[in-house]
Amino acid sequence: MLGDLGTAGLAAGLLTAPLAALLWLRVALLGAPARPARLASVGALLAAAAACAVLETALLGRDFSVRFVAENGGRHVPAYYTVTSLWSAMDGSLLLWLLVLAGYGALLARRAADRLRAYAMVVVSVVTTCFFALSTFAANPFRAVDPVPLDGPGPNPLLQQHPAMGVHPPLLYAGYLGMVVPFALALAAPLAGAQGRDWIRRARPWALAAWCALTAGVVLGAWWSYAVLGWGGYWAWDPVENASLLPWLTTTALLHTSLGGGRGRERWNSGLACAGFLLVLLGTFLTRSGAVASVHAFTDSPLGPLLLGFVLLAVLAATVLTGRHRPAPARVAAPVWSRRTAVLVNAVLLVTVAAAVLIGTVLPLLTEPLAGARASVGAGYYQRTAVPLAVVVLLLAGVTSALRVRDRAAALRRLALPGAAALSTVAAIGLLSRPGPAALTAFGAAAFVLTGLLTTRPRRWAGVLGHAGLALVAVGVAASSAYGRADERTLRVGETLRVADVSARLESVRRGTPDGRMAVQARLAVSAGGATRTATPQLRYDPARDTAVTVPAIDEGPRRDVYLTLLAVAGDGGSATVRLAVNPLVGLIWAGGAVGTAGGLLALAGAVRSGRQRRSPAARSGTPVTAGAPA
Amino acid sequence: MSGRPRQPRWWRAGPVPTAVLLLSVGLGAAATTGHLAGAGEVRQRPAVPAPALVGTTLAGDRFDLAALRGRVVLVNVFASWCGPCRDELPLLVEAAGRWSPQGLAVVGLNLRDGPEAVRALLREADADGLTVLPDPDGTRAVDWGVRGVPETFVVDRAGRIVARQPGVVTAQWLQEHLAPLLAAA
Amino acid sequence: MTRGGLAGRRLLVALGLAALLALAVTGLARSAGPGAHQDPVRALAAELRCPACQGESVADSRSPIAASMRQAIADQVAQGRSPEQIRRWFVDRYGPEVLARPPLRGTGLLLWAVPVVALLGAAYAARRSLRPIRTPGAPRRRRPAGRPARRPAGARPGPDEGSTPGRRPRVAWWLSAVGLAVLVAAVAVAADRLTPPAPPPPATDPAAVALRLARDLEGQQRYDAAAQMYREALRERPDDAVRLRLAFAMLRSSDPAGAERTAREVLDHTPDSPDGLLVLGLAQRTTRPGDAPRTLRRFVAVAPDHPAAGEIRRLLTS
Repeated sequence: MLGDLGTAGLAAGLLTAPLAALLWLRVALLGAPARPARLASVGALLAAAAACAVLETALLGRDFSVRFVAENGGRHVPAYYTVTSLWSAMDGSLLLWLLVLAGYGALLARRAADRLRAYAMVVVSVVTTCFFALSTFAANPFRAVDPVPLDGPGPNPLLQQHPAMGVHPPLLYAGYLGMVVPFALALAAPLAGAQGRDWIRRARPWALAAWCALTAGVVLGAWWSYAVLGWGGYWAWDPVENASLLPWLTTTALLHTSLGGGRGRERWNSGLACAGFLLVLLGTFLTRSGAVASVHAFTDSPLGPLLLGFVLLAVLAATVLTGRHRPAPARVAAPVWSRRTAVLVNAVLLVTVAAAVLIGTVLPLLTEPLAGARASVGAGYYQRTAVPLAVVVLLLAGVTSALRVRDRAAALRRLALPGAAALSTVAAIGLLSRPGPAALTAFGAAAFVLTGLLTTRPRRWAGVLGHAGLALVAVGVAASSAYGRADERTLRVGETLRVADVSARLESVRRGTPDGRMAVQARLAVSAGGATRTATPQLRYDPARDTAVTVPAIDEGPRRDVYLTLLAVAGDGGSATVRLAVNPLVGLIWAGGAVGTAGGLLALAGAVRSGRQRRSPAARSGTPVTAGAPA
Repeated sequence: MSGRPRQPRWWRAGPVPTAVLLLSVGLGAAATTGHLAGAGEVRQRPAVPAPALVGTTLAGDRFDLAALRGRVVLVNVFASWCGPCRDELPLLVEAAGRWSPQGLAVVGLNLRDGPEAVRALLREADADGLTVLPDPDGTRAVDWGVRGVPETFVVDRAGRIVARQPGVVTAQWLQEHLAPLLAAA
Repeated sequence: MTRGGLAGRRLLVALGLAALLALAVTGLARSAGPGAHQDPVRALAAELRCPACQGESVADSRSPIAASMRQAIADQVAQGRSPEQIRRWFVDRYGPEVLARPPLRGTGLLLWAVPVVALLGAAYAARRSLRPIRTPGAPRRRRPAGRPARRPAGARPGPDEGSTPGRRPRVAWWLSAVGLAVLVAAVAVAADRLTPPAPPPPATDPAAVALRLARDLEGQQRYDAAAQMYREALRERPDDAVRLRLAFAMLRSSDPAGAERTAREVLDHTPDSPDGLLVLGLAQRTTRPGDAPRTLRRFVAVAPDHPAAGEIRRLLTS
C-alpha cells in the first residue's frame, strides 16, 4: 500500500521533471510565460518530497512489505536512527538526493524569468529527470517484498552510533547538489546570448552556498569517522572521502576565480563550475556503484553503468556548450603582483591537487582492464602529492593580506612580519622536536597566514575567516599526525598501558546486551596530568548483520584527545586488547571547519545583498551591469 | 587573438574540454571493459607449494603439514567469532568423514581465537574430531596469504596448493576440487 | 627619520630575517633527517593495503587479518629483514595489489603523469588568462552562425519576448522533447536489462535471528541469555530442534529443572529422541539422581554412535 504510494510519487516526479524541462525550454526558446514552468518545477519538488515522506512513514511504521524497509529497517532501531536510515543505503539516499536537487530547482525557478535562468532551469530539470528515472527504474526502494518479513536487520550498525548521522549526509548532499546551479548557469550562459555574460555573478551565491554546505559536510564526515570508526583517524584518503574532496577543491578555486565579477577569467569560471558538478556525478558513480571499492561488485547494481552514462552525457553537454563559448574579451593589463595572479595560481594549484586526488581514486578502476592486475593507492601517494601542494596553497593564502598594495616594496614590507613569524615558528618547532618536513612547513605556513590576518585591517571578513579556518585545519592536521602517539597491547585486568604521559589501567571487562545488541565493555581508569577518569570503550556485535563494531571512548580536550579503543577481549573476561591514542590538537580541525564555514556564510550574505542591489529597478532598466563588488 | 590563423574545428572546441571529454570516454571504456572482463571471475592461481604449517594442535598433538605428504589436505581457516565459519563447519566435518578413507585430511587453522571458544564451537558442531591448529597471532594465516575468514585451501598429495576459496565453501565446491584429487590416488 | 637610519633599519630587518631563515632551514633539515621516523612496523603497515577491508591500510584497519599482518611485519622486522624484503614477502602472498603505492610502471605512471599534465595545462591556461589583450576596444567576436535572431531578443527579456518566434526554436523544442523522452526510455530499458536477478530475500525471519543470536551467546558461554533467546525463537517456531537447543542451554545455565521439563516435551513427541534422552538424563543427575542412570542407559542403547555416547558410557561405569 505505502509502496504503491511511493512509486506513484516517483512516477509523478518522472512526469513533472521532464515537463518542467520542456516548459522551461519553451520559456527560453519561444518566450512563453514562465508561470507553468515554475509550477512544474515546484511539482517535481513536491513529488520528491512525497516519495521521501512515504519512505519515512514506512520506516517509522515498520512496514516491512516495502523493500527498503525490509533491507534497512528494524524493530530494534531507535526512532532517530530509523529516520536517518532513509540515507543509510543507496536507494533511500537517492530519494534524499532527489529532494535536495528538486529543492534547488524550485529555488532557482523562483525568480527565473530571463533567458539565462530559463536555460539553467532546463539543465537542472534534465538532471532531475535523469535521477528520477534512475530512482524509478533502477533503484526503486518501494518495490514490494514477498513474503513480508517480520523484522529487518536495521541500518549498518556503524550508521547507528553517532548523532552526526542525521546532519552529515543531508549537508553533504546540499553541498553536492548545490553545484548543479553554477553548472547549469555555466551551460546556459552561451545559449542565453548577451544575458549570459553576467552568469558568474548569479552563480557565485549558489556556489558559495554549496561550498558552505560541502565544507561543513566534509568536516562533519571527518568528525564522524573519527568518533565512530575507532581507528583514531579522521581522513583515510578513502574513495568516498576523496569523492567529497574533489568538488570542494574545484569549487574553492571557483570562489576565488569568480571574485570581483571574475573578469578576464571567464573560461576558468565556466570550466571550474562544470568541473564541480561533473566531479560530483563522477564521485557518485565511483562510490555508489561499488566500482572503486571492488571492480567486481560493479555488476551488482544497474546504477553503475547508468551513472557512468550520466557522467558521460554531462561531460558531453558541458564540452559542447561551454567549449564553443567565446566570452567577450574584458581583459586589461594588470601588474604581475595582483589579486588576479594570486587567484590564478591558486586555481592552478587546486586543479593540480584535484587531478592528483582524482587519478589516485580512479587508478584502481583503470589498472585492472588496462594492465590486468589490480592496484591500490594508499595514503602514501597523497602525502607525496596532494599534501605538499596544499601547503603551498596555504602559503599563498598568507600572501592575500599584501595584495592590495600595488607597490612591490610596500608589499614586501607588509609580508615581513608574517614571514618572520613563520620562520621563527619553523625554527622553534624544528629545533625542539622532529615533526617531519611536511608538518613543519604546515606550521610555518599557518603562522604566516594567521599573523598576516592579524596584522592587517581586514576589509572583507569572509576571506579572513575562510583563510583562518584553513590555517587552523592545517595546524590540527599537522599536529595530530606529527605528534599523535598510540600503542595497543593486551592487558590483563589491573595492568596499565602508557602512551606519552597518559596511562590507562584495565579495571574490568563486562559483557552485556544494551539495547538488544551484544556488547563487551572494558572499564579503564585513565590518568593524565594528575586527574583520573573512567573510560568505557565498547565492542558491539550486531548479529543481524554479523559485524562487530568498535565504539571508542574519546575524551576530547582543547589541547589533546585521549582516544581509547577496545579491540578484542579474551573469552574469560580476564584480559582485553586495548588501543590507547593521544591525539593533540584534533579539536582545531573541527574548529577550523566551523570558522571556514562561517566565512563562507558571511561571503554568501554579502553576495546575496549585492545581488539584491543589482536587481533594484535602476539596475534592471537595461544598463549594463558593471562590477558590483569592489575589485 | 583575432588576428590568429584559422584553427581546425576541433581545436576551437577548446583543448581542455576536449581532453576532458576524451579522458572521460577512455575512463568509460576502461570501466566497461573491466566490467565485461570481470564477468569471468575467480581465476585460480597456478599450483604453488604450500607454506609450512607446523605446530601443536588444540588437542596437544604435534602437527606438521609436510608429514601429510601423500594425502590430500583441506586447510580451513576459521574462527569462532565468525558466523559463516560456524555455518560451514558441519560441511567440513561431513567431508572429513566421507573422504578420509580415500586419503583426505582436514585441518582447521584457528585464527586469533581463544581455546575455550573454539572448543565450545567444536562441541556444538559435533566436530570434536577435527584437527585444529591454533594461530593466536594470525601469522600462520598471513603466511598462507589468507584474506579473511573463512578461507579454504586444497593441498594436493605433492604438497601444492591447487585450489583456494575465499569465503564459505559449498558442497559442490568440495566435490569439484576434492573428488578428482582423491580419485587419482 | 634620516636616510641612513632607514637604511640601517632595513639592514637590521634583513639580517634578522636571514638569521631566522637559517634557523628555520636548520630546523627543517633536522626534522627531515634520519632518526626522526616513527617505528618501522607502522611505516611498513601503512604502505600495505588490508585485503579484507575497503581502502584501509594494514596500519589503520581493525580487522583481525590486518592485526595478523601487523604481527607478521613486526616478527620480520625483529628478524632484521629489510623493508624491501618484507614488501616482497607480502606481494608473493597477496599479489601486487597489497602494495598501497603502485610501482612506477605501466598504469602506475599515470599517478604522476596526470598531476604533472594538469599542472602544466592549468599553468598554460593561467598564463593565457594573464596575458593582456592588445586591442581592448576590439568589437565582440562574431557569434556562431545560425543564431542571428538571438541578440535582439536577448537584449530585452520578458514574457513578451517571443511574440513571433521563428521556426527554428520550435524545431529545437520538439527535438529536445524527443531527446528527453529517449533519455528516460533509455534509462528504463537499460535499468531493466542491467538489473541482476532478484537476490534471495534476506533472512529476517525472527526465529532465525533469535536462533543466530542465541548460538552466538552460547559461544560466549552466556547460557542464560541464550536460553532466553531460544525461548523467543520457540515462540516463533515451535520446533523440537529449537526445544532441544533450549534444553541444552538451560542445562548449561544450571537450570536442570527447566531442562528436564523441556526435554520431556521433546520426548512426548518423539519418545526415542537421542538428544532428548541425553539432556533429560543429564538434567536428572541433579534433579532426581535415582532416575538418571536409567535414562542415560536408554540413551546409549538408542544411539550407540552418538558423539556423546562414549562420554556417557564412561560416566555410567564410574
